[in-house]
Amino acid sequence: MSIAPQGMTRGPLNGIRIIDLTWKAVGPWSARMLTPYGAEVIHVEPPHEPDDHRWDARRGQGITMTDHQVAHTEPGAVPSIPYYTAPYYSQIHNGKHAVSINTRHPEGKRLFEELVKVSDGLTENFSARVLDNWGLGWERLHELNERLVYLSTSGFGHAGELSHYRTYGPIVQAESGLTFVSGLPGREPAGWGYSHMDICGGWIGGLGFLLALLQAKQTGQGTYVDYAVTEGAMSLLGTYFLDFQANGRPTRRKGFPPGNHSEWPAVAPHNTYRTAGIDRQGQDWWVFIACETQEQWEALVTEMGKPELLSDPRFVTMKDRVANQDVLDEIISTWTAPRRRFDIMTRLQDVGVIAAVVETAEDRVEYDPQLRHRELYPLIQHPEVGEFAYEAFPPKLSRTPPDNSLRGPAVHEHDDYVFGQILGLSERERSDLRAEGVI
Amino acid sequence: MAKVLNGITVVELADRRNQMVGKIMSDAGARVIQVEPVTGSPGRWTGPFVNDVEDPDKCLDYWWFNTGKESVALDITRPPGRDALRRLLATADVFVESTKPGTLAALGLDYDTIGARNPKLIYASLTDFGPDGPWAHLEMNDQAHLALGGQMGVSGYSDPHEHPMGGHGRQAYNMASVMMTHSITVALWDRMATNLGQFIDVSIHDCCAICTERSVSYWLWYNQANVRQTGQHAGPAYGLPIQVQAADGRYMNARFNFTQGQWPGMVKWMTELGVVGDLAEEKYNDAKLRAAEAVPGGTVEVAVSKLLSMVPAQEAFERAQSIGLTWGVIRSPEENLEMHHFEERGFWRQIEQPEIGKSIPYPRGFWKSDGLDVSPDGRAPHLGEHTKAILREVEYDDAEIEAMTTTGVAR
Repeated sequence: MSIAPQGMTRGPLNGIRIIDLTWKAVGPWSARMLTPYGAEVIHVEPPHEPDDHRWDARRGQGITMTDHQVAHTEPGAVPSIPYYTAPYYSQIHNGKHAVSINTRHPEGKRLFEELVKVSDGLTENFSARVLDNWGLGWERLHELNERLVYLSTSGFGHAGELSHYRTYGPIVQAESGLTFVSGLPGREPAGWGYSHMDICGGWIGGLGFLLALLQAKQTGQGTYVDYAVTEGAMSLLGTYFLDFQANGRPTRRKGFPPGNHSEWPAVAPHNTYRTAGIDRQGQDWWVFIACETQEQWEALVTEMGKPELLSDPRFVTMKDRVANQDVLDEIISTWTAPRRRFDIMTRLQDVGVIAAVVETAEDRVEYDPQLRHRELYPLIQHPEVGEFAYEAFPPKLSRTPPDNSLRGPAVHEHDDYVFGQILGLSERERSDLRAEGVI
Repeated sequence: MAKVLNGITVVELADRRNQMVGKIMSDAGARVIQVEPVTGSPGRWTGPFVNDVEDPDKCLDYWWFNTGKESVALDITRPPGRDALRRLLATADVFVESTKPGTLAALGLDYDTIGARNPKLIYASLTDFGPDGPWAHLEMNDQAHLALGGQMGVSGYSDPHEHPMGGHGRQAYNMASVMMTHSITVALWDRMATNLGQFIDVSIHDCCAICTERSVSYWLWYNQANVRQTGQHAGPAYGLPIQVQAADGRYMNARFNFTQGQWPGMVKWMTELGVVGDLAEEKYNDAKLRAAEAVPGGTVEVAVSKLLSMVPAQEAFERAQSIGLTWGVIRSPEENLEMHHFEERGFWRQIEQPEIGKSIPYPRGFWKSDGLDVSPDGRAPHLGEHTKAILREVEYDDAEIEAMTTTGVAR
């Protein structure tokens, strides 16, 4: 297959070379956030076991994700379907180069070390001891290249008594407290319906990596960043820690978490309200409504055609409305229930009230006029997949805009470039290494 | 130790949306001057307050999001206040603002005007929807973004008629602030080579919309819609429950499908507690049979649920992890203050708070590193604490400052 080269993006990070050993979801983002700005990211996969995120259902071929997962997780299973670059892979490994190296083979390790010597950064999200076991822990990496920045991403970090504990996104969210603070009062926690700390947590890793690379550029000295995603999540919950320290108020208390009500600021109404209709899965449709000011409250009451609420002693002040918000929620729900969700949003927004449809993925992709205006789902090309829409990298920088035309690399697509051009191996040497299973 | 953003001056126009940007930059060593209304940043009035008494200097949410910043209280809607902000921006490296589109242009503080006077300035505009577009002027807050951006649509309970749920702690603003700080760092990098700043537009709605993991890909590529499921990933169909209550009433995140490597340890544990039943039989070495019995009411599900009802969450966590199970405890945030692991990693930073007469531990921040120090050095400022000193720096004399304070332009 002939594959078009990529990675020629011009940008402020031109000249920065990253070795990316990441897999799953949280790690890949740290390097993926550099490629739109011109960094050269070399994604390294083992020769016979490319990333599992390459596995994905192929459109229109009747292959489900379950088939792939079973094939991949059964010990010793040989995939019956060749690896390829699934669309989601183009999301989280966008703009990277792909090579395969068997780092457990002495020659593979030597090649890897040569790559470390000519790189600026290295990132991985393996278990805590993997790189040490390869003989490539921080001390060795620093010895090979003192400018190198090393970012490790793991659930509990590489230091500390829990460093060997296993995690994935939901465990990080559970352990940090992020899951606990979401849910209806008196009910079990609701948590997050996706690995929030794989995505937002991945962005946090990406920010730390870039700051460390900037520091290395300034000082000529690399550094090791031990990113524990659990600590990342705890750092998104600072106020709860301070409320506990200053006021002695724990979150494990009656009435907490507050559902979609707001405690800070204490405002009401502030909730999701059932509307007319159900989605494709039979779930109710909802609109979020909040009034943070007296003007918004008056506008809501007027739109609902219930001016008598303004003088109702239960709702006169914000404090009254917060104290009686359950009753207020019932009144508002009665109004929203027969109405269409986008109509409610438009009507209330027109009079300055905070109102937002609880959008599904379908809503965002197909109907959200603002996301269309922002071109959030552009088409990209992939030689194995064809043309498809994906989620763009959203920041808009006037002088150095991120390149949103890039894609995920095919399996060892860039072996010749990396081993030939960067490391200077001849075609014969590469062929021998391939025959030995080193690359 | 020097910090990576030492020498960078950030002017942050106070708002609830963007304060995390300034916090990260301040923790990374930048000097962050927060320009806030004379009545205080909206962030000072959200609560919770110390002893629940409203006081702009004792708002704990503000304390968290504003570590190490300096406060200049200025009414920028009046010409003298606006002039003072212009002077600050004339020498600043970064301007972080979150006003509604058009607000700063009406005050002559838009990028075209300010950037022309200070071409090195990085003008970072973090808004609900970007500067234009059909929804650019909508009224939003953090939870409204979690609704519109997709977080709520996939989070909540398995009951299809139950409320979708949004997380707390300003998570929409946090997502966008991380993305914005990354963008600013790219712009600082570029500026080292070009000596030029630029305009950065980050929309909170965009950031939320791409931060739902697979939801959009399910729709884009497979036309699949998701169901919300209690405590776990939304998906095209309901899966096995994974949120289980332990003996002490705390919930755990525990999946009941076991690999060949994990199963012997599980059998041993169940045997010790007398709940193993016939699960020790050889036939259960078959992963498919185990999976078939992990459904509600199945032998595996019944036995493991019973086991968990006999063991407190922390003990179950440690035992499960020792046999290779990826299980965790659903902890309240403050329970982590007791976890030796985070103490050992130096996660807590004591910050002196004279308002309560003691220092209290703050989370260090995202990263542990001997070389990259991004952690708070000091408390959030009091309202207008640095107004006079900073106005003097931009060459106002004492009489002018006095006039500004007496007329309510400055505080």
